[in-house]
Amino acid sequence: MTALTLLAADPDKFTPPTPQELFELAPIAGIGWLTKPVLLAILSSIIVIAFCWSAFSKPKLVPRGIQNVAEIGYTFVRDQVARPFLGKDADRWMGLLLTLFFLIWVWNLMGVVPVLQFPVASHIAFPAILALTIYVLKIYLGIKHQGAIGYFKNMMFPPGVPKAMYILLSPLEFASNMILAPFTHAVRLFANMFAGHMLLAFFSLVGFWFLFEQLTPLGAPIGVLGVVMTIVFTALELLIQFLQAFLFAMLAAMYIGGALHPEH
Amino acid sequence: MSEQERRPEDDGRDFADAAWSVPSYLLAGMAIYGGIGWLLDRWLGTSAFFLIGIVLGTVLAGYLCYRKFGR
Repeated sequence: MTALTLLAADPDKFTPPTPQELFELAPIAGIGWLTKPVLLAILSSIIVIAFCWSAFSKPKLVPRGIQNVAEIGYTFVRDQVARPFLGKDADRWMGLLLTLFFLIWVWNLMGVVPVLQFPVASHIAFPAILALTIYVLKIYLGIKHQGAIGYFKNMMFPPGVPKAMYILLSPLEFASNMILAPFTHAVRLFANMFAGHMLLAFFSLVGFWFLFEQLTPLGAPIGVLGVVMTIVFTALELLIQFLQAFLFAMLAAMYIGGALHPEH
Repeated sequence: MSEQERRPEDDGRDFADAAWSVPSYLLAGMAIYGGIGWLLDRWLGTSAFFLIGIVLGTVLAGYLCYRKFGR
C-alpha cells in the first residue's frame, strides 16, 4: 500500500524510494506543524492513555481481560527495566518508565500498522524531546541527591584511577555522560526506526513495482523476492520495535539510577 | 522478589552498565582527543595529530573502561 504513494518520477524505470519522499511529508490541511507523525503521535498518546485507563482504573485483585495484558507489561518493565537499575526506588519511577515503554512501543508499532505505516520516532524530534526530558531529569536528580559539586565530582573522578590520569580521563567522563549520553539515547531509537522504515519501503516497492507496475518474466522473481523480504523484514521490525522501546526505557532507568546513587 | 534473587539482578545491572558505557567512552575518547588533535593540526599546519589524537583517545577510553569495569 505504501508503494502506491511512492511511484517515482520516471514511469518506466525502477527507482528506489528516497528519504525525502519517505520522510518529508506535506502538512495536513494547510497547518504547518500538523503532519502525519504529529497525528500518529497524538493517536499513540490516546491509545496508551485509553489502554492504561481501561486496564488500571478499576483494578481487580485477580486480574482479568485487559488488566491481565497490561499487568504483563507492568511486570516486565518492573522486573527487567526498573528493578535492576533502581533497586528499592523502582516503584517510585514505574509511572515514568511504564509510560515511556508503552508510548515508544506504540510509536514504533505505527510503522507496521497497515495504512498508517509510519514509525513516529523516525523523525528525530520525537525521540529527542524524550531524551532531553530524561537528560534534564538526570541532572536535576543528580544535583539534588549528590549536591552540585558532588555530582560532577562523582561523575568525573571515578575511584580506582591513579590521580595523574584524571587530567586525561576527566574530560572523557564528562563528554561521555554530559554530551554523548542524551545524543546516543535519542539517536539509537531514531536511527533504528528510520532505517527500518527505509528497508520496508524499499522491499515493498520492489514487490509492487515488479509484480504490478512492470510485470515481466525476468522481473517477476525479483518482485516475489521483494514481497518475501517485506514479510521477513516486517517480522524483524516487530522485534526491533519492541527492543528499542525496551532499551530506551532501560537507559532512562540507568541514567536515573546513576543520578540517585553515585557509581560504586 | 526474594533476597536470593537480588544478586543476579545486581550482576545484570553491572553488566548492562558496562555494555552501554563502553561504546560511549570509546566515542567520547575519539571525539575529544581526535578533536584536540584536529585543532592542533589546523594551528600548526600538520596532519599527524588528528590520527594520534584518535588513537590516544581510544587507548585512554579502553584504559578507563578497564579500570571501571574490568576488576
